[in-house]
Amino acid sequence: MAAELHSYLMVGAVLFVCGVICMATKRNGIGVLMGVELVLNGANVNFVAFSRYTKLGLDGQIFSLFIIVLAAAEAAVALAIALNFYNNHLTIDVDRANKLKG
Amino acid sequence: MNPEFLLSAIIFVPAVAAFLLAFFDSRNVEVIRFWSLGATIITFGLTLALWMQFDPAVPGLQMNVAAEWIPTWNVWYRLGVDGISLPLVLLTGLISMLSMAASWSITKHVKGYMVLFLLLESGMMGVFLSIDFFLFYVFWEVMLLPMYFLIGVWGGPRKEYAAIKFFLYTLAGSVLMLIAMLMFYFDTGATVESFNLVELAKVAAGAADAKLATTLTPSLQITAFILLFIGFAIKLPAFPVHTWLPDAHVEAPTPISMILAGVLLKMGGYGIIRIAFPLCPYGAQYAAYALVAIGVISIIYGAFAALAQTDFKRLVAYSSVSHMGYVLLGLAVWKINEGTGATIGGDFWLMGMNGAMFQMIAHGISSAGMFFMVGVIYDRVHHRDLNRFGGLMAKMPLYGGLSAGLFFAGLGLPGLCGFIGEVFVVISTWNYSPLLAIIAASGVILTAGYILWAMQRVYLGAEYKGPHAEDITPINGREVAIAGTLLALAIVLGVYPRVMFDVMSTSTTELVESLKTGYQKAATTVNQSQAQR
Amino acid sequence: MVGETLRNLLMVAWLLPLAGFAIEIFGGFWGKRTSKTAAWIAVACIGTGFLCSASALVLWGNSNGWTVLESDGHGHADAAHTEAAHPEPGHSEAADSADTAHSKQTVYSGTLYSLGKFGSLNVSLDYYIDSLTLTMFTMVTLIATCIHLFAIGYMSEELTEEYVDHHAHLSNGHHVHRPGRFYRFFAFLSLFCFSMLGLVLAGNIFQVFIFWELVGICSFLLIGFYTERKSASNAANKAFIMNRVGDFGFLIGLMVIWTYFGTFQFGPTSNADGVITDPGLFGMIHRDAAGTLLTDPVTGDVAITTVDGTPAVDGAGQSRTIPYSLLVVAGLGVFAGCIGKSAQFPLQTWLPDAMEGPTPVSALVHSATMVAAGVYLVGRFYPMFVQEVLLTIAYVGCITLFVAATIAIVATDIKKVLAYSTISQLGYMMLGLGVFGWGAGLFHLITHAFFKSLMFLCSGSVIYGCHHEQEMTKMGGLWKKMPITAFTMLVGVIAIAGLAIPGVIAFSGFHSKDAVVASALAFSDANPGHFLLFIMPLITAGITAFYMFRLWFFTFLGKPRDMHVYDHCHESPWIMTVPLLVLSVFAAFCAVGGEDGPLYQLITGDEPTHVAAGIASTQSVSGLTLPGHSAIHDVHSKAGALALFAAVSGTVIAYVLYGTTLVNLAEVKRHLSGLHSFLWNKWHFDELYDALFMKPAHIVGKFCAWVDKSLFDEILHGAARTCVIVAKWDRLFDEKLVDGFVNLLSRATWSVGDSLKVVQTGKLRQYVMFIVVGVVTLFAVLFATFPR
Repeated sequence: MAAELHSYLMVGAVLFVCGVICMATKRNGIGVLMGVELVLNGANVNFVAFSRYTKLGLDGQIFSLFIIVLAAAEAAVALAIALNFYNNHLTIDVDRANKLKG
Repeated sequence: MNPEFLLSAIIFVPAVAAFLLAFFDSRNVEVIRFWSLGATIITFGLTLALWMQFDPAVPGLQMNVAAEWIPTWNVWYRLGVDGISLPLVLLTGLISMLSMAASWSITKHVKGYMVLFLLLESGMMGVFLSIDFFLFYVFWEVMLLPMYFLIGVWGGPRKEYAAIKFFLYTLAGSVLMLIAMLMFYFDTGATVESFNLVELAKVAAGAADAKLATTLTPSLQITAFILLFIGFAIKLPAFPVHTWLPDAHVEAPTPISMILAGVLLKMGGYGIIRIAFPLCPYGAQYAAYALVAIGVISIIYGAFAALAQTDFKRLVAYSSVSHMGYVLLGLAVWKINEGTGATIGGDFWLMGMNGAMFQMIAHGISSAGMFFMVGVIYDRVHHRDLNRFGGLMAKMPLYGGLSAGLFFAGLGLPGLCGFIGEVFVVISTWNYSPLLAIIAASGVILTAGYILWAMQRVYLGAEYKGPHAEDITPINGREVAIAGTLLALAIVLGVYPRVMFDVMSTSTTELVESLKTGYQKAATTVNQSQAQR
Repeated sequence: MVGETLRNLLMVAWLLPLAGFAIEIFGGFWGKRTSKTAAWIAVACIGTGFLCSASALVLWGNSNGWTVLESDGHGHADAAHTEAAHPEPGHSEAADSADTAHSKQTVYSGTLYSLGKFGSLNVSLDYYIDSLTLTMFTMVTLIATCIHLFAIGYMSEELTEEYVDHHAHLSNGHHVHRPGRFYRFFAFLSLFCFSMLGLVLAGNIFQVFIFWELVGICSFLLIGFYTERKSASNAANKAFIMNRVGDFGFLIGLMVIWTYFGTFQFGPTSNADGVITDPGLFGMIHRDAAGTLLTDPVTGDVAITTVDGTPAVDGAGQSRTIPYSLLVVAGLGVFAGCIGKSAQFPLQTWLPDAMEGPTPVSALVHSATMVAAGVYLVGRFYPMFVQEVLLTIAYVGCITLFVAATIAIVATDIKKVLAYSTISQLGYMMLGLGVFGWGAGLFHLITHAFFKSLMFLCSGSVIYGCHHEQEMTKMGGLWKKMPITAFTMLVGVIAIAGLAIPGVIAFSGFHSKDAVVASALAFSDANPGHFLLFIMPLITAGITAFYMFRLWFFTFLGKPRDMHVYDHCHESPWIMTVPLLVLSVFAAFCAVGGEDGPLYQLITGDEPTHVAAGIASTQSVSGLTLPGHSAIHDVHSKAGALALFAAVSGTVIAYVLYGTTLVNLAEVKRHLSGLHSFLWNKWHFDELYDALFMKPAHIVGKFCAWVDKSLFDEILHGAARTCVIVAKWDRLFDEKLVDGFVNLLSRATWSVGDSLKVVQTGKLRQYVMFIVVGVVTLFAVLFATFPR
């Protein structure tokens, strides 16, 4: 039983690290968004796994549902920003978006 | 008249008049002058009414007024009058009126001058009438500020210097007084009566009906007395804290000099006799020799310094230092038997105290007159150099005659007021200390020297030697009225001094008795504690 | 009541001149300058005063049956008799009314009003009326009336709108022109008369002091009457200030008396029931039959007694005493006042200078009355003087009479000669009183007042006649021009010189000087160590005769020395010569009968009780024997003969030197030039006092002023500067340190932020890397810190 939780956590971690690497390396805004989705889903896997194998009960699964909703909303907002950015700069290269530099 | 109303009216009529002056058109100079003169006349009339209502046979303070003022700090609005304050209230009313009449020579910012003058009068009256320590202190400060501006704005060439010097000296004194006041307040438990001068005096005298429970310890009395004395000695002024006086007098305009010499200096003497002595009998006796010595030094030192002056007004100012020395001398000739604490020759001390009180009144009249006489000639020729006068007796005979009378009053000529005060004080001194009595008596020679020499240089001689000889016009009616009033009073007081002694004697006798018992009580505790050790 | 009537009469005489003064000074100021009204008012006042005084004298005599005049041969030694004629000093009139048995009461005292009352102490104005008071009143008012009349003539030049003062110059060399001040002169004279009479009437020593000062100020006003003259105002100041030096001593005397006796009154005070409440000073000192003061058995101090002679006790039951030494101090103090007022050595220098005043002033104030007040006071206060004080008085008088007489020899100003003669004669009076010749001293006071005022008026007449020429060197031969003046002056000169044909005729001065010299001889017989007290007045009697006749010969005999003065000289009008004649009669005959005559008997009617018997044994340190009446009487004829011989010799020498041409005066002067210049410079007293007192006083004054300016004010300014410096440092501290720290902090914050902002690259991928690295580092640290 412990071995099974362990496996799920491994999957979650791989997903998370992939997402992070994707965010750090992709210059395309859409790519970065995809990395974010991976990170969120890595976390989702963990929530569900803990929900199943520990005494947390349904809490983890509800939380993962929240995250899915949140990811959808976030994607909508982020895509809107990306679209506007593209309208202004004719690119979605995040390296060009350095106006917030201190 | 209702005494509560009367006392408050005496204090506040000038202040109300000053407030109303604010609504006057400042270009209507004559109206403003007559309005202010009217206010001072009414005030003087009220003081006369007070004299009529006053019963000299009753001991203690009369016509007491008491109303709560600042309950949190137990500050009360307490007024009262007795034989010690009444003569000074009368003097204040009189001198204020006369110097207001002398203020016609002021032409700059007349409205502001009159407002400050009237406020000053309120302050002075308040000082003499209040019997709450805090109220006294407030009035003391109230009177200080107008004086500062009156010297600093309407004064002579070095007016700023003189005004600041005057202000700082007096302020230093009042700070010491404040410390002493708080010492008494907290030592007596910060109760409702802790600012009441009458109750504090009762405690110090060990009276049976004292409302305050505590006793003022001898060491507290000594400390408080020294603080209070320095504060009042500055105002008196006594050697060596007198140097503000010549400068203030020289720079102040004539009417303000009259007020300064006639009333303000008396506050020092009044403070000593009303506060320092009754509240600290032990301290007073402890310091008596120093007081007498300071008085004698002031007499001689002031006279010598006057001898050397070339400025007419400065000479008169130093004569004030000399004359006020008699006040200090007379107050302090309190001889005791070291062993028993009993007073020796209490009647001589009583005489000295009466003489000192009389000297205050006499000096108020004679020195105000002398300053006025200097002002009359200064208004005409605009200089005060003694060596550049001469021959005025021939050019202005009436002025010369009136001046001679007033200067003789200052010289201490019998039949004029100065004599009674000086001689009564001096002959009561031998009982205290023959040596100091002899030194004090030698003042008569010096006084004659500097006054006669000054008169010779100013009034006598073949001709006038200074500038503006063409401006020397005979003395006018207003000036004659002022000088004549002062000279007439000088004669009345000199010939029949009972006018004042009858008012004072009950209060001074009572004061002397309470001081005697107060000292004896404190001395007993000191002796006991020494015996235990 | 006799006492009340006497008091009222004398008070009228005393106060009328004061009323006169007020009317004259104000009326004159607003009146016409050419009006003589002021003078007549003054004359009326003082004349009425004389009538009041004279009637008071008569009334007083009648009330006691003129017992004082009953000459009992030479029974002065009979102490018991004098004791009876003189009841305890001063039973007040109230006491008198209660006890009518005192039909021979001669002393009346009482209180006018109180100046101030302090417990048991009471300062009041009193009156004290005895034969001396009445004699003085009559003398003063009589002489003053004469002098007032004389002054109407003498001062008539002031009756103008434009008076030219030839002795005062403006800076451009012109004479001073001013309105006449006729009225003012008479106003001041009236004020003086008031003060002088007040002094005589005074019933306590404090009141004497009051009027003492008032006569001083009147003297000041009158000496300085010509205010335009520098010399006059200098002389006035000198007179007043030197008098104040004496008054300083007087004040010390007053203090001692006040402190130990607690009263100033001479005579007793009684309450409404006639019970004596306060014995008065004279009743507080008692002497036994031998003249020894009663002493306290415990302390040995002099006992203060009640009126019946028993020791007095104070409130605490202690017997009241005064140390003998302080009794001496009190006496010397009061005498110091007399030294000043009577121009005695060492304060004599003011009187010659006082001659700057108009001549009637010199006659009234500076010869007859005010300067004699010192002598009067010594006489009045006699019971309080102990032997040491009396000896001092005698020696002061002795020195004065000699010094002044020597200066008079060389003086050439006619008024200065008389002034020095006045000082010398006052010395005689003091000497007489000092050697226990109480009556003799006061006798000389009265006679001197008459003949000296006469001589001063004569000199005034000369000066007026010679148009204000005072130098005798410009006079001579004037008797032809002014016979009345010359004759009356001769009467005065004979009187003062003491010439007489014994048994036939003798002028007043002979009798009184005789009495003084006799007392001095008796004294020096009793105390051989003090022989100078007899020798000096004897020699000076000769000098007096010499210089007085020198003056007369110089002025009236011989050839005119200055024809200009002589030609314009004329006899004075009647208003000036009549007073001369009146006074000359008194100068000649007032002392008729000598010591058995009415004047002497009147003066000594209320002699202090201890004088008659003298004082034989004594507790005094000096061990003096004071002669009584009998001792003086025994040597009287001897002393009289010697004095007469001295006077005649002086007269003869004066005649040889100045009345004839036998001796070349210039030659004599050249041979004695050293002595002459010493005397001419008045023994250098003025220079001495200037160096000793005036200059030091001014130096000390300058020093005090310097201390104020350069010490006290500098300390103050130093304190002020210190405050300013401290304030500057305070500002510096605030600005540099406190503010600097705050600024530093803000700058540091800024620069930290500035340097950290580079981290904010704006690059999204870098941020992600930062997060990753950060998280990893965090975990690494966590694991490192909390290993499982």
